[in-house]
Amino acid sequence: MIEFERHTLTNGLKVIAHHDDSTPMVTTDLLYDAGARDEDPAATGMAHLFEHLMFEGTDNIPVFDTPVMLAGGENNAFTNNDITNYYITLPADNLETALWLEADRMKNLNLSEERLITQKSVVAEEFRQRYLNQPYGDIHLLLRPLAYKVHPYRWPAIGMDISHIENAAGSLIREFHRRHYNPSNAILCVAGSAKPERVFMMAEKWFGDISPSEKICRRLPPEPAQDARREMTVSRNVPSAQLIMAFHTAGRDSSAFYILDLLTDILAGSDSGRFPGILVRKKELFSEADIYLSGEIDPGLVIFSGKLMNGTDISKAEEAVIDELNRVAQEPVSAAELDKARNRYESIRLMSYMNPGNKAFALAFHELLGDANGINTEIEKYMSVTAAEIMNEASETFLPENCSIIYYLPEKK
Amino acid sequence: MNSTGTKHPPEIITPSAGIIDFPEMTRLSNGIPIYLIGKGTVDLLRIEFVLNAGQVMEKIHLAASTTNAMLTEGTVLHDAMTLNDLIDRTGAIFNHNADKDSASLVTVTLPRKLDEVMALAAEVLFHPSFPANEFRMLIEKRIQAFLISRQRTSVIAREEFYRALCGDSNPYGRITAIKDYQVISTGTLSEFHSLWYRPDNMYITVAGREPQQAIDLLEKYFGSFSGQWHEPEYPCIKFKTAEPGRIFREVSNSVQSTIRLGWKGITRDHPDYHGLQVASTILGGYFGSRLMRNIREDKGYTYGIHSLAGSFHGMGFITVVTEVASQYREDALSEIKKEIAELAIHPVPPEELRIVKNHIMGETARMFDGPFTIAETIRSIIDYDTDHDYFTQFVRRVETITPDEIKKLFHEYFKIEDAFEIIAGTL
Repeated sequence: MIEFERHTLTNGLKVIAHHDDSTPMVTTDLLYDAGARDEDPAATGMAHLFEHLMFEGTDNIPVFDTPVMLAGGENNAFTNNDITNYYITLPADNLETALWLEADRMKNLNLSEERLITQKSVVAEEFRQRYLNQPYGDIHLLLRPLAYKVHPYRWPAIGMDISHIENAAGSLIREFHRRHYNPSNAILCVAGSAKPERVFMMAEKWFGDISPSEKICRRLPPEPAQDARREMTVSRNVPSAQLIMAFHTAGRDSSAFYILDLLTDILAGSDSGRFPGILVRKKELFSEADIYLSGEIDPGLVIFSGKLMNGTDISKAEEAVIDELNRVAQEPVSAAELDKARNRYESIRLMSYMNPGNKAFALAFHELLGDANGINTEIEKYMSVTAAEIMNEASETFLPENCSIIYYLPEKK
Repeated sequence: MNSTGTKHPPEIITPSAGIIDFPEMTRLSNGIPIYLIGKGTVDLLRIEFVLNAGQVMEKIHLAASTTNAMLTEGTVLHDAMTLNDLIDRTGAIFNHNADKDSASLVTVTLPRKLDEVMALAAEVLFHPSFPANEFRMLIEKRIQAFLISRQRTSVIAREEFYRALCGDSNPYGRITAIKDYQVISTGTLSEFHSLWYRPDNMYITVAGREPQQAIDLLEKYFGSFSGQWHEPEYPCIKFKTAEPGRIFREVSNSVQSTIRLGWKGITRDHPDYHGLQVASTILGGYFGSRLMRNIREDKGYTYGIHSLAGSFHGMGFITVVTEVASQYREDALSEIKKEIAELAIHPVPPEELRIVKNHIMGETARMFDGPFTIAETIRSIIDYDTDHDYFTQFVRRVETITPDEIKKLFHEYFKIEDAFEIIAGTL
């Protein structure tokens, strides 16, 4: 049981405090309900580029990192399709410094043209380093627009194209800040060696005078149900082929999420899973075979990804994957498999909560989903999943017309 | 308007490195050392078995890493599928890995599964069977991964640096070639295993809320092996350092180049080792470092640039690494050299040094926060046979080092004319 207290400021900022005095540290996690799905399709990558600009200082605090380092802290952030999340971990004595820094950049961000130009260039290099200069690095740049035609999940958080970043206009970025970076659009969670009263008092002090803004109502076009199989073939300078198959599924708040999370663990969560056992060891079709949920808030994807053994025919490999997916749609998984997945879930969950930073993020994220206490109640959701529910969910998900497939092949020399 | 300005910024309390205790050590009846790290609130146990079975012990290249990877591919009692099923049923996590200097198996388990998990750990560590079919498949997978790594500029540049620094006749500098995968056999693994995977050649760390609960089971599964534990012995490695200068390696079709600038450094027992950590942090060890400010935040040439001063057994190194679009390559390199030259001429301003010192204190405190993290941290002390108060000495040195001393370190250890200048990318 992870205990916490909750307090909402009059400007709408939700504050969650979890006290853990087994550590001398404290983590502040500030989650903004703004991600790549909130971008204009003609100017993607803004949420992530903006995250970079949040480290560029203000008139009050010219170098964001200096007080963090002086306080003995470390900090970072990430952006995905749904959210942008900032965190600072530092000795608990210096908690107030972290809140001062976060409140300051929520309110006073200084977006000079000069800083914008540099960060556009840094992010363009990030794009190259992570997506273009890596073998297989562009798979997600290809998969999203294949699987989604309407919903903004059709582009990745880094952006649809490097030109969107290089051409990003200052006015658009300032508008992004105005719309999304305000207290009613954020959740602050503090986890570690700080009592909730102290956390709430300091949150009032530093965030209390930031003016409220109206919470924007998000109206995103829902992705229409896919009605025909989609496929794409690419050739790249890679030594072996990769097969990617993505199926649409329900959103994060649906029971399908927990059911498919356990199912993907049974299929490929560990070495004794079905895919490593059958597709890799027994049939020797793949060198690696994985399946996982994209995990987004709006209806997301369940994605199979496998590297082929050299010499394997890709259509034969695909057939074998489909056989395994059909099998889980037609026969219940065994009690032993389900039990194994539950035990693993329990260990992995406990392990991730060894660290106050992970707890802080999990609490903030569950609060965004509707209730921070989800961190405690989701165990029951996992434990109560039945073999019949898994079979039923698999039969509704793994349909040929619901599949987007990429044949990622080595270039012919 | 600016209401934050009317409130005083919070006073920053100078961070301390916290409590740095070397954990209590006890022994099984046959002498195997066990380090007990009892902390935290989560009911999980992390038990790590560290063996002196790294690449330094191998006669045939890849023996150490392949032997370690094959531990869970079948034992005398169970085939690979059954074994992995037994492991996964416990819900425990088994991670195993071999690096240059040692090999390890980490298990993380719920206490109620400890008996089963320890029985399985003993089985995989001491009774693997190295079945031919699993071996063949592992080698095929490794060859695929190897071929993919040939397209990563970062990997190619790293390999070239260590080859230049150490020479290619030892595990630190040797570069793997495809033929190495053809030479190795299951016989190689059995021989490597029988020589180095022995209870008298390992130690154990137990971390979690109540580590004592593991002692009886460790005694049951590991304490009864015959043979008496002894201090590990390392072979004497012959290093052959190349002449400094530029080494270029072409990686066709790459959109970025990796730049790796590097020097021969010093080992952990050298009196300048701690100071060099501070110098390297100033140069490229944190977000606000000289190199990040210039190459990333001012020029926008890169997503990141880092420097590191480290050491193996018998050889230290210093290195600066970054990935940049190929057209910025020469500019970035000359800016890096400019920053280094500057630090060798002008003492670092006291305020900048204060930032770095506080940052290092916070980082050290985080290395001792939580039982699992402590277990990882103390491994470096035990494996390199460093004084148990290594981090206490380190913290004391960081607190007292002066700008002039740092200037001297740059002058002595970061000489541009002594640098290896590795570039991997397009022509």
